[in-house]
Amino acid sequence: MTKLLEVEQLSKSYRHKTGLFSGTKIVALEPLSFSLERGETLAIMGETGSGKSTIARLIAGAEKPSGGEIRLNGKPLQATDYAERCRNIRMIFQDSLRSLNPQITVGKQLKEAVRFNTNWDAATQQQHVVETLRKVGLLPDHYHFYPHMLSSGQQQRVCIARAIVLAPQIIVADEAFVSLDPSIRAQIINLILDLQQDMGISFIFVSHSTEIVKHVADKILIMHRGKMIEFGPTQVLVNHPKETYTRHLLQTGTL
Amino acid sequence: MNILDIRNLTIELDTSAGPVKVIDKLSLQLAEGEIHTLVGESGSGKSLLAKAILGFINPRWKITADRLWWRHYDLLGLNPAQRRIVTGRDMAMIFQNPGSYLDPNHTIGEQLSEAIPSGELKGFYLRRRTDRKVRAERLLHRVGIKQAKEIMQRYPYEISEGLAQKISIAMAIAHSPKLLIADEPTTAMEPSTRAQIYRLLGKLSASQGMSILMITQDLTTMIPNSQRTSLVYCGQLMESGTTEQILNKPSHPYTQAMLEMSLLDQSVAPKSRLPTLSGAIPTLQNLPIGCRLGPRCPRARRACIQTPPTTRKKQHSFACHFPLSEDE
Repeated sequence: MTKLLEVEQLSKSYRHKTGLFSGTKIVALEPLSFSLERGETLAIMGETGSGKSTIARLIAGAEKPSGGEIRLNGKPLQATDYAERCRNIRMIFQDSLRSLNPQITVGKQLKEAVRFNTNWDAATQQQHVVETLRKVGLLPDHYHFYPHMLSSGQQQRVCIARAIVLAPQIIVADEAFVSLDPSIRAQIINLILDLQQDMGISFIFVSHSTEIVKHVADKILIMHRGKMIEFGPTQVLVNHPKETYTRHLLQTGTL
Repeated sequence: MNILDIRNLTIELDTSAGPVKVIDKLSLQLAEGEIHTLVGESGSGKSLLAKAILGFINPRWKITADRLWWRHYDLLGLNPAQRRIVTGRDMAMIFQNPGSYLDPNHTIGEQLSEAIPSGELKGFYLRRRTDRKVRAERLLHRVGIKQAKEIMQRYPYEISEGLAQKISIAMAIAHSPKLLIADEPTTAMEPSTRAQIYRLLGKLSASQGMSILMITQDLTTMIPNSQRTSLVYCGQLMESGTTEQILNKPSHPYTQAMLEMSLLDQSVAPKSRLPTLSGAIPTLQNLPIGCRLGPRCPRARRACIQTPPTTRKKQHSFACHFPLSEDE
């Protein structure tokens, strides 16, 4: 059986121009490989500038890789294959209010995703959006709300609804919990765990909160200066880390 | 000996729906050289409390208190000019996102030397100028910056967020204040940088007898050697006590919930549902009557529509009708 997501020798480098022909190469991500099964959660941890967000952006298709391959269900994903990516890999961002369009209602934003990716008629689209809203714990009435009318927790729920509205296989969350209050954060984590159970979605988290990672992740990937330091199941990494860096990061939360 | 003594502080704001008590009868004591952590979610009025202590007051707020004393000064009784002198001499504050409130047009050295009180410099112009420079360098050394000369030449955009916070701490301690108020100084910072800042604050408090009022959102981002902890929710004090008591033997359901939600408890099984408070934090216009935690509290009963009295036991106080009993 093929794995849901396989990443092989994926790398990313930028060229920093210093003159007309001259330039220096900046390596953001050295070649790395990992894989993800259906219904699993992968957490990517590391410092700022360690390349953890770069991995998330490459998988979501926000950037083109410089080398290597990403395979979804055994089929290689091209960087330009937007329709395919958009249906199967969705992303949640850190600042929920800023990632929603303030000028159109919540329902319309969700419907846009459905309209461009399915050939359903208007009534089915509407019904599907309302159902999705209910799944994330919002009411059908929220269809007509504008983003600013909702609280921060509800905004984050809308972002999650936008991610699951196309029934994707993978959701990439880049620091999605940092700006939430503790009680709201716990609610959102519960919601994500429930959705994972019901729909069998795989999650990729980018986070630096040790507590949350230990709680939700099946596998952890540790990044340091663009290199993958360690990759393995959470239990193994927490209890028997190979590298001192991993131990510091996971056990004390300090370096 | 308490150097800051706040009893029943109430701050009222005028809104279109009438006056709203943003802070409702909040009491807080701070001893000399103590680190006190104030935990509250957004909208709990914790930043407002800091402003009330420092005197950054909007004339439209109505502030009343049984006591708002700083050492032997009654802060509410002083006129603005006197209060400014007292605050400027004894208190300092650091904020979140330090990079954004350093002046982008001036180098770190220029901004830092401005923070050094002129009254303490002696001699003629040139002498004062070199003295100022030397003292600025010494300040940077004290907050653990080794290449002081090099950093002084830089502009704020050239330094990292952790370094910027260290510089803002250096500016805050330039006049050796007795009280430092830190308003979420490490939000959105890396765990490693956060640990550095906390170590620095702990060291400063221990070596100079400086009291620190540390305001945070979360129990996980608590300064390790804080002696006392208070939790506020929507402007009401939920529980206050020594950090040990709060972490190990909470009496208030809110404290318990915060502990569980922060996943500090190792007993929660991975991937299990987290215990959480239902609903959202109420907005200012819709604050519930009585205990403001009421609608979200798992132990709420009918009596909770009355504001619960504060129970005091030695160092420990909490406001709840149905506290978690000790054998539970």
